[in-house]
Amino acid sequence: MRTRGIGRRSILGGTAGLLAAPWVARAQAKTLRIGMQSIFSGPIALVGTSSRAGVQMEVERINSAGGLLGRQIEIVYRDSKGQPQEAARVARELVNSAGCELLLDAEASSGAFAVQEVVRDLGVACIHCNSETSSLTADPKIRVPTAFRVARQGVHDAIAGSAYLAEFANANKITKWATCSPDYAYGRDTTAQYLQFFKKFKSDIEVVTEAWPKLGQPDLTEVITKLIQAKPQALFTLLYAGDLSAFVNQGNVYALFSQMKVACPNFDYPVLTTIKNLPAGIQAATRYIETFPDTAANKAWGESYRKKYNEFPTNWSWENSLAVQFMEAAVKKANSTDGKAVAAALVGMKVNSPFGVDGTITMRDDHTTIGYAIGWGQTVPQPPYITSVKPADWGKILELETEWKKQQHYI
Amino acid sequence: MKSRPALRDTLIAVVALAVILVIPAFHRSPAFEDYIIRLSAMALFATSLNLLVGSTGMVSFGHGMFYGLGAYSFALTMQLTDLSLPVAAILAVLLTVVAAFLVGAVCVRLGSDYFAFVTLAMQMLFFSVIISWQSLTGGDQGLRGGIPRREIFGFDLSSQLHLYQFSAIVAVLGLLALRHVSASPFGATLRMIRDNETRAAFLGVVLWRARLIAFVIAGGFAGLGGVLAALFVSGAYPELADWPNSGQAIFAVMLGGIESFLGPLVGAMILLALNDVVTRTTEYYGLVLGIVILAFALGLRRGVLDYLRRWWAQGRTGRAR
Amino acid sequence: MDLDALGHCLATAACVVTQTTSGLIVGMLLFLVAAGLTLIFGVLKVVNFAHGTFYMLGGYVAFTTLAVTSSYTLAVLAAAAAMALFGVLFERLLIARVYGSNVLMQLLICYAVVLIFDDVVKIVWGPDFHAMGMPPAFQVPPLFIAGGVVPPFYAVLIGIAAVIALALGLGLAMTRLGKTVRAAAINAPMVGVLGINTTLLFAVVFAVGGALAGLAGALAAPVRSLSPGMGFSILIESFIVTVIGGMGSIAGALVAALVVGLLRGFGTIGFPNFTDGMIYAAMILILVFRPQGLFGRRTA
Repeated sequence: MRTRGIGRRSILGGTAGLLAAPWVARAQAKTLRIGMQSIFSGPIALVGTSSRAGVQMEVERINSAGGLLGRQIEIVYRDSKGQPQEAARVARELVNSAGCELLLDAEASSGAFAVQEVVRDLGVACIHCNSETSSLTADPKIRVPTAFRVARQGVHDAIAGSAYLAEFANANKITKWATCSPDYAYGRDTTAQYLQFFKKFKSDIEVVTEAWPKLGQPDLTEVITKLIQAKPQALFTLLYAGDLSAFVNQGNVYALFSQMKVACPNFDYPVLTTIKNLPAGIQAATRYIETFPDTAANKAWGESYRKKYNEFPTNWSWENSLAVQFMEAAVKKANSTDGKAVAAALVGMKVNSPFGVDGTITMRDDHTTIGYAIGWGQTVPQPPYITSVKPADWGKILELETEWKKQQHYI
Repeated sequence: MKSRPALRDTLIAVVALAVILVIPAFHRSPAFEDYIIRLSAMALFATSLNLLVGSTGMVSFGHGMFYGLGAYSFALTMQLTDLSLPVAAILAVLLTVVAAFLVGAVCVRLGSDYFAFVTLAMQMLFFSVIISWQSLTGGDQGLRGGIPRREIFGFDLSSQLHLYQFSAIVAVLGLLALRHVSASPFGATLRMIRDNETRAAFLGVVLWRARLIAFVIAGGFAGLGGVLAALFVSGAYPELADWPNSGQAIFAVMLGGIESFLGPLVGAMILLALNDVVTRTTEYYGLVLGIVILAFALGLRRGVLDYLRRWWAQGRTGRAR
Repeated sequence: MDLDALGHCLATAACVVTQTTSGLIVGMLLFLVAAGLTLIFGVLKVVNFAHGTFYMLGGYVAFTTLAVTSSYTLAVLAAAAAMALFGVLFERLLIARVYGSNVLMQLLICYAVVLIFDDVVKIVWGPDFHAMGMPPAFQVPPLFIAGGVVPPFYAVLIGIAAVIALALGLGLAMTRLGKTVRAAAINAPMVGVLGINTTLLFAVVFAVGGALAGLAGALAAPVRSLSPGMGFSILIESFIVTVIGGMGSIAGALVAALVVGLLRGFGTIGFPNFTDGMIYAAMILILVFRPQGLFGRRTA
């Protein structure tokens, strides 16, 4: 069995072979090609590299067990550089020229919407692995018959987070909040969503100040001093990755974390492990963490990932692993890679997964997954980084999600 | 140099178009067809920029603004109204023309460096408006939900073949029109301004007016390129109006040759092909592109087509001797 | 728009002090990068669009030096020295070859260097972001002055930047080298004719510009995130500062950097969603009505 090395070497080797000789590809027509596109270059290349790692782990497992429908899987990787027009082009190329029968779309949201339109035209089966923007699948005008999402969905996280934070606020008698989120669609929409549900759970909250730093803004000093000036009891922030790390470092300089409680759903391993002086007691959601769900399966997955790649998995890693699992199960069930057949198999499908709250995750009939782990806890400076994690109540999530969908006229 | 007969240019255009249109009858290659669609958009974008850079000597860093505006106004018109596709496209180009007039009216009197900076600043302002005006543009996520591609003259633009034919026709006609502008007496005036603006002014040319007209024409054709780009991605994204996109066009112009009318087209062809091949083989696209740019800037020092033409001219004088 | 909040802030001493110091901090770091940019343009008429890359590499060099030697002082010095060297190499090997040719050629070379080194950083330090963390000496609680918060680290930062501004200003005004540089800014060929080695002079200018950018990168590294491509936003901001202040004017860069810093400090309270738009608009107005900038000389 071919053992693929990590990262760039394998992508170079794999694609060099692909370029070298089309006739070789024909000779191996039995191989099942799956296209995977993501952002492999530029400042947020971590999206691509950690998504790819998640996919590789599963593909190796499937291939060493004899492949899918008796065919070895070959993943064809393409870099969109994070540009939507490139994402669209690459998706067409993967299907039309590279001979891919299925698509894994590991683009960020704007890329995912571009891929969505290509999938609508081509009718290929596609799984979006990273876009959390609810409307991608929730809005029937945007939804596509053969495209699915195996990833967190923004509205689920918003409901779960608001419920947890409302309880937290009640316990600590917090009413005055500040918000600080990146000034673009994700930051604005998601903040509004959190606040909407938050007010539903706890009507007496007041937002005393809002800050909207730019995405990738290197210096957040004026934002931090503004937040401190407003003297809120707690701060809710949707900053993430490098921006979140910069915020914590610059906030430390101003002792921000001793002056207010802080809550943030975006503390994942890359941030947790990079920050040198992570303050304790930040309310944080688990994007991915080995200790939640606290099961042997989840721990084993996290450990084998770390061993293989010598770095912690990201939220994208598990989403992409799971996407391959769903694809595998659906193709087996449909006994075909035809777009319509795979789509029919995916609807309502339930797979066993270490990332599910009860060990399973379900693909709902509106093409998005439910039952994945959502938990909130508090930070500590050393591993496991987030402790006393409370699982979210999926019953409540689904109930409020339906209400929200009606409000948006999606149903 | 005598101005070339329009007939010859038209003939070349007709032959080129015929070749492009005939290819799919013999061999269907989706990748090639996509390539031509994207090339059509980019060729209009880069060639229109060269009307400023090459013909008039105005280095605009903000040409992407009009490309993006064309794409957004076309896509929005299609999404929000029931107007037919050609009407929406014409509206989009008209809007870009108006925008180019307004922007140009502010910039064209400035000296060359400041002209470059102010066009860059205008583009940044335009880009930040796209990002902030979320309710209309969808912000950084772009326009979602696709462009309804209503059928026109029997073209069904959700079919790749039809979009290919449509884009090729639009691009060839557009390039022909631009060629006409640059070969006209007005084009000669622009080149005179580039070479010696004092002399042009003495001869009675109103410098700012000629520059403004060039700027408006260039903006309009960039907008037309933007319409094709929007059709290809079935939407519009802020990246279309961002500075790296303007940089792409500048590089295409430089790479192909600023002294040759078809230079930007050649540059766009090379750049797109490079992009497609390199992103397939490595995730270090920037590294490769950077090295190519350096090799070009320090080695060739002029565009490919300009270089070839000089080489050809030298060879001929050599033979004559 | 939230003018009430802005009015409220301006009426309280604490808010004014805090937001002013924030603005100074933002402005001073901006000045360090912009100073090099404006110096290079003033003398060589080259818009160094690769200047953000100097800043980025400075940050990364400091990051690694600190990791190896555990000395922040060494890290800062190493970053400045490395970028001075990088500046010289960049000038000698690349930019020197296109002096006098089309502005677009210079632009392309800078663009190529930006692309190449963003990927080099990715290869050497990985695609993920890094955080250097605060050096232990500065892990102390902030000072409270007139009810406003002033962190010691930032006080030191402002001090260093002020010293450099002063040194640059005096150096240009008083020293022989400074006078030569100013003369070269007005007429470089004439300075060459007078027997001064302009090749060396140009290299020195790039070394100083590079060192300043590297220094800024190192000074900012403890509080900012390091990632490939981080130089871009810095480049844009310092470019704006340079244009507003007047291309080639050190004093202009200082004033403009502080203005932009203060605009950010109070903008975030009064008009948080339009701070950038305001800055771009200011730049456009300046370019249109006073193209030479606030402090620039009007030259051809």
